[in-house]
Amino acid sequence: MDRAKITERLTEIFRDVFDDENLTISDETTADDIEAWDSLEHISLISAVEKAFKMRFSMKEVSGMKNVGEMINILVERAKKC
Amino acid sequence: MIFSSLIFTYAFLPLCLILYGLIKPLKGKNAVLIILSLFFYAWGEPVRVGLLILSAVVNYFVGIGIGSIKSNKGQKAVLAAGLVFNIGMIAVIKYSGFLMTNVNSLFGSSLPVPDIAPLAGISFYTFQIISYIVDCYWGKVEPQRNFFKLLLYISLFPQLIAGPIVRYSTIAEEIDNRHTTLRDYSEGFSRFIVGLAKKVILADQLHRIVDNFLGGDVGALTVCGTWYGVIVYSLYIYFDFSGYSDMAIGMGRIFGFHFNENFDHPYLSKDITEFWQRWHISLGSFFRDYLLPVTFFGHRNKYLSLALVWLCTGVWHGASWNYIIWGVYYGLFILFEELLGKKRMKKIPLVIRHIYSKLVIIIGFGIFYFEDINKLGLFLRNLTPANPNGFCGISEKISLYNNLFLIIVAIICTFPLMKWFGKLAERSDGSKTVVSVSGTVICAGLLILSSILMVDATTQAFLYWHF
Repeated sequence: MDRAKITERLTEIFRDVFDDENLTISDETTADDIEAWDSLEHISLISAVEKAFKMRFSMKEVSGMKNVGEMINILVERAKKC
Repeated sequence: MIFSSLIFTYAFLPLCLILYGLIKPLKGKNAVLIILSLFFYAWGEPVRVGLLILSAVVNYFVGIGIGSIKSNKGQKAVLAAGLVFNIGMIAVIKYSGFLMTNVNSLFGSSLPVPDIAPLAGISFYTFQIISYIVDCYWGKVEPQRNFFKLLLYISLFPQLIAGPIVRYSTIAEEIDNRHTTLRDYSEGFSRFIVGLAKKVILADQLHRIVDNFLGGDVGALTVCGTWYGVIVYSLYIYFDFSGYSDMAIGMGRIFGFHFNENFDHPYLSKDITEFWQRWHISLGSFFRDYLLPVTFFGHRNKYLSLALVWLCTGVWHGASWNYIIWGVYYGLFILFEELLGKKRMKKIPLVIRHIYSKLVIIIGFGIFYFEDINKLGLFLRNLTPANPNGFCGISEKISLYNNLFLIIVAIICTFPLMKWFGKLAERSDGSKTVVSVSGTVICAGLLILSSILMVDATTQAFLYWHF
């Protein structure tokens, strides 16, 4: 799966988790940009992403992510390995 | 040394400001703050400073270790050692007596029960340092190479004893580079005075009512008397703790540090999840940011993770069953709201949500108040029609009549008055001047009134100093 497709799929997940049909994300999007994105929603988001992409993040990966771009980087790397 | 005492407000704080102002280089200013913070912490209980310095030394080397080891396994081992030290220190000092008492009563044994005097501030500064070493491990902050800068972070007297739990990342840059602007001084002093007034004018006076009702024979209270006592206690605890936070944040500003807010008008919350995003924000965010991911990645169950977080929140508050019950109680409501979902919660009429949240919060503070489980049982019974003492008695009517003004003022002060003033000032230049002048006059009045009340020797210690 390429970067554009991953971003597209990720947008759907974000819209679903944060309950906002018009939500758009970019590489620079952070938790500060989405009002509902707190630690608890972060857990929901990680669960949803893991389920959709059939993979598991490590705790260090999740806590080290600074923005959506870094999440996509991890997903791209994992897709290459598959 | 209590913040809301004459010796602190009129001797210690001015001395700090004079010394801090006289010394120009930042290194010197930092040294003054460390010395004064250690002196402040040693006041009345010199032994505890040793433990604070030990904690700083150990965690300094933990940070350095994490920073210099390349392998993830090695970093993890150093972090684990650091966590064992920090959590072990709290466990021994705060919980060993409670644990042994319960072991003895459960197994009928007579093992020696350690009698360790509570150390004010240990729960707060230990959590601060845990956030530092975990952030070092997660790569969110660079390990501090200068021991004294780390000691400054952990010992800074405004937030040392009862928070806010300041993250290292919040003030890391300001340790190296900061200056206090005129605005910082002005807003810092105003914030300190507002906090002082919350504590001395409101909390200490409300505490006297609480003492008369919940502090007396709780089994003999009427339904109204019990509700009256616990509602006043809910107001008291808010002004006591948020007053302390205001003073801490205000003093931080005066010394050029910008701490995060710890309270955001929690009684305006429409549900319990929102309440915990507005009440003791630094503790809630600590557990959500550091404990929730750890428990979640352990078993991948969001609800079990939440339950564990709330159990720990209860346990953090003290070595007593009521705090554990209190944590579990909140955990259940948070789980309930999580299961119900935000969409369905929003569909419930606003009035109902406000009534629900206030009831849960007020009863919750009743659980928080009674360390004696028997008294807690009597309290819960007396809130209901099962109360054998009748619905309403003369003592609560007299107390309400005598304290009506105080209670109304307290309720009004739970609203965001400062924000409203701020918005008023933005309207025009004229209104800005009016708000600015009246703000100064109000602060001066509050300081004078607080000072008069502080002369009274009955000033209470801050409740959260016990935790």
